Amino acid sequence: MSSVSSFDAHIILEGIRIVAVRVDEDLIVNEVVGDWCDIPVGEDVRDTVPALIGMEEELAQEVPYLQLPFVSLGMQHEQPVAISVQRDTGTGHLWILLRDVSEEASVQERLVHQHNSLAIAHKELSAARDAVLAADQAKTRFLANISHELRTPLNVVIGGASILRKPRKTPLSNEDVQAFSDDIHDCGVLLLQLVDDLIDLSRAETGNLTIYEEWCNPSAIITEIIRLARGLPEAQGVDILYQPNGSEPELFADPRRVKQILLNLLSNAVKVCGPGSRVFIETAIVENGDMTITVRDTGPGMSSEDLTIALEPFGQPNAETRSRGTGLGLAIVARLADLHQAEFNIVTAPGEGLSATTRFPSRRLSSLNG
Amino acid sequence: MKAHKIIVIGDFGVGKTSLIRRYVLDVFSDQYRATLGVHLYKHSDTIPINGTEELVKLVLWDIEGAPLPGEQMMRYSLGASGAIVVGDLTRTDMTEPMQRAADMIEARLPGRPMGFALNKCDIAPVPDTAEIAALKDRYGAFIACTSAKTGDAVPALFRDLTLRIIGGKAESV
Repeated sequence: MSSVSSFDAHIILEGIRIVAVRVDEDLIVNEVVGDWCDIPVGEDVRDTVPALIGMEEELAQEVPYLQLPFVSLGMQHEQPVAISVQRDTGTGHLWILLRDVSEEASVQERLVHQHNSLAIAHKELSAARDAVLAADQAKTRFLANISHELRTPLNVVIGGASILRKPRKTPLSNEDVQAFSDDIHDCGVLLLQLVDDLIDLSRAETGNLTIYEEWCNPSAIITEIIRLARGLPEAQGVDILYQPNGSEPELFADPRRVKQILLNLLSNAVKVCGPGSRVFIETAIVENGDMTITVRDTGPGMSSEDLTIALEPFGQPNAETRSRGTGLGLAIVARLADLHQAEFNIVTAPGEGLSATTRFPSRRLSSLNG
Repeated sequence: MKAHKIIVIGDFGVGKTSLIRRYVLDVFSDQYRATLGVHLYKHSDTIPINGTEELVKLVLWDIEGAPLPGEQMMRYSLGASGAIVVGDLTRTDMTEPMQRAADMIEARLPGRPMGFALNKCDIAPVPDTAEIAALKDRYGAFIACTSAKTGDAVPALFRDLTLRIIGGKAESV
């Protein structure tokens, strides 16, 4: 401003979105050059340019240095301005220049928007990459587990059969033959169960596990699976208690899959309970009309960390029961319950047993006589 | 009547604009729009100062959350009477950026009152951590748990800072 008169400035700033405001030492507007925005002469410039509030000391400097690149009045309008202050070294007048920076702001806003969009896309891609990595790790774990689970019973089958078929001078005793035959049979049954479970799990994972629903009697299903469970070697000496109340409604479900759910839970329960312990099966109609079927044991229970492991395919937190199941049971139960829109819930704590509840929605229930 | 300049700073998206708009305009929007540069809000409030209702004029500087060059932040903070540092309770790394902002204020505005707003208390619990207590002790600042969405503790936040600027007796936040 040092060599430009007010008259010259009027000519220069005409049509340009810049306003130059000359103020006195009390910051009262003496002159306004440019007509881009309305700055009243004779009034305190801080009333229309509140960004100058608090800047009085700086403005009083002989060579003030004040440049604010993007300032807008948030409550009145969004139009941003750049503010700079200069003192005319010739006249000593203080000039405040206001420049419209709408276009720059618009460009910057677009850049920020693009930056944010890219940041979101990056975050989503990172999450997708993490999910793929996790799935890959799960697949690797699964293959490692399945190899182990298949090899163990197969080794028993091959080993037992090798002993039986080996020519020997002294034949095996009847007891030995019986024992090896039993091992081969039991491991064969376990392998069959493992293959069936794998097929179910695979179908569930790919959405191809189908259920065939019909009206069925929960009491009859429970009675049948108790009979099956009592045949398990681990169930010897375990009391399985069920008291049908005779008024359970019919359930619209796949009876084979409901049996599979309950047999899995019941066989888990008897496996962890020693002889002399008790396992309960309880049915109830809860407050909103849903039906719950609970398998409750008085076994050792498990911690929440162990429960998380148990719900994973092949997750067997208890080493003692490891050789007695496929480790796929709970994972399959959870998926079968889901196919029936049923909630599957486990309540347990170390030393306090385990209670596994399958809650079928009321819309799947009907009166036995209905 | 002298108007007081208050700067409001903090990380991206912590709710600086929302807090100010709740205080000045008593509005809230879920739509996030990044602030570019500075938005100024003029506001007059009646505050009980030492038992008397007094009118105070404030200019609130809503400063963008992007890390700014030191020189630019110095220009924005020039002449401020006090500052509010905003943090987001939903973030795991809430205190670290607040501490950086508080360090900047201590350097640029030595001796000026400062308040910490722990924002979004409607959706996240306020952790009782040593880090938060250390913030308060280290900078001699006050802490308010705010929600721009519900308005909880928002007027009290600005009024408490104003009272400290004027030198009146602070109400509890």
